[in-house]
Amino acid sequence: MGIWDVITELVEAAAPWSTADAEAPAEVPEETKAEEPEEEAEEDEEEEEEEEEPVDPKETLEEECKNSKECAPAKHHFDECVERVTNAQENGGTKEDCVEEFFHLAHCASQCAAPKLWSILK
Amino acid sequence: MLARSCLRSARAFAGLRNGAVHVSKRAASSSSSGANAESPLRLNIAAAAATAVAASSIAWYYHLYGPTADAATPAEEGLHPTKYPWVHQQWFKTFDHQALRRGFQVYREVCASCHSLSRVPYRALVGTILTLDEAKALAEENEYDSEPNEQGEIEKRPGKLSDYLPAPYKNEEAARFANNGALPPDLSLIVKGRHGGCDYIFSLLTGYPDEPPAGAQVGAGLNFNPYFPGTGIAMARVLFDGLVDYEDGTPATTSQMAKDVTEFLNWAAEPEMDDRKRMGMKVLVVTSVLFALSVWVKRYKWAWLKSRKIVYDPPKTPNTPPRL
Repeated sequence: MGIWDVITELVEAAAPWSTADAEAPAEVPEETKAEEPEEEAEEDEEEEEEEEEPVDPKETLEEECKNSKECAPAKHHFDECVERVTNAQENGGTKEDCVEEFFHLAHCASQCAAPKLWSILK
Repeated sequence: MLARSCLRSARAFAGLRNGAVHVSKRAASSSSSGANAESPLRLNIAAAAATAVAASSIAWYYHLYGPTADAATPAEEGLHPTKYPWVHQQWFKTFDHQALRRGFQVYREVCASCHSLSRVPYRALVGTILTLDEAKALAEENEYDSEPNEQGEIEKRPGKLSDYLPAPYKNEEAARFANNGALPPDLSLIVKGRHGGCDYIFSLLTGYPDEPPAGAQVGAGLNFNPYFPGTGIAMARVLFDGLVDYEDGTPATTSQMAKDVTEFLNWAAEPEMDDRKRMGMKVLVVTSVLFALSVWVKRYKWAWLKSRKIVYDPPKTPNTPPRL
């Protein structure tokens, strides 16, 4: 042990805070192990209930945003474009696509959903 | 020669303005007398003209070179990702290591089948994502080349903490062959290597629409993703709700998994971030202490100068009449 170790140990002993090292959790004694299965079973049930239908909050939020007043112009243009292009495709080919309109709508929706989404996600 | 011809033309202009009668006189007189005769109106016109020329030359320049021409449609450019309020990107925040652990799980169970993470060794995971024992166990699951033995043969040995995470393919050609010619990029530095960083990765993973918008051309073997430049990406949507079973019971929705894995990839790209921010904090603390010290020292050193008083004591000479 060098002189430096002595000094660091002294400093660590004197310091009012302590450092936390992530060690492996200690072996659980058998007494607590016996209790665990019940808890786990309960947790499993809860998890299963939750995971039966994990709905992606991003999709629902963005759907709400698309229909909100904020994105009404973008949605209007996109819907109109889709209608126009599908009609044109039925009547013979067209070179137009709705990618740009889709971009504007998606940008508006994700912009509007971003803060709400982050408040939900862990 | 040039100066003389200029002078001559100036004279000609002067002659035009002042009338032909004075021409001979002006030509005979010196140039200084000519300057004296100049009216303020002429000077004003000259200044205004010079300003107009200067302004219009700037306007001309910007007309020629100002606007940059982009030969790309919005689809070729790709949709710019939305800015998300990442907590770990704030100045005084660290990575959420619980999220890193979840993100590593997502990487291992989902991404690792195609993407390598070649610059991350197992030892980097210790203490940040896994415990020592977990990292050792994980390393031992894979085999690595050992040192040549006595016959010069290279045998396989279980992995150690100093080994790097194994790649899913032997080389680029194998990766391309397995993926229809598309190369899954290495993810070690992907967050630093893409415009938009975390926002881009998150948007790309969650941004696959159910179906491409009407009229969009999607190439064979490609998928439509608005965030990918060109919108045609070889990677299909991989994250689906409930794909991963998180050990801490977090609901594994698509966006949750995307968020976790993005934060993990950000950690992989800059594992020094937590330390860097701590170092920055130390710098702020030390410099603020030194600044406070210097203010006090300055007060001390300047005290004699600031507290001195200069007094004029006029000589006492009574009975002298005041000067006028």
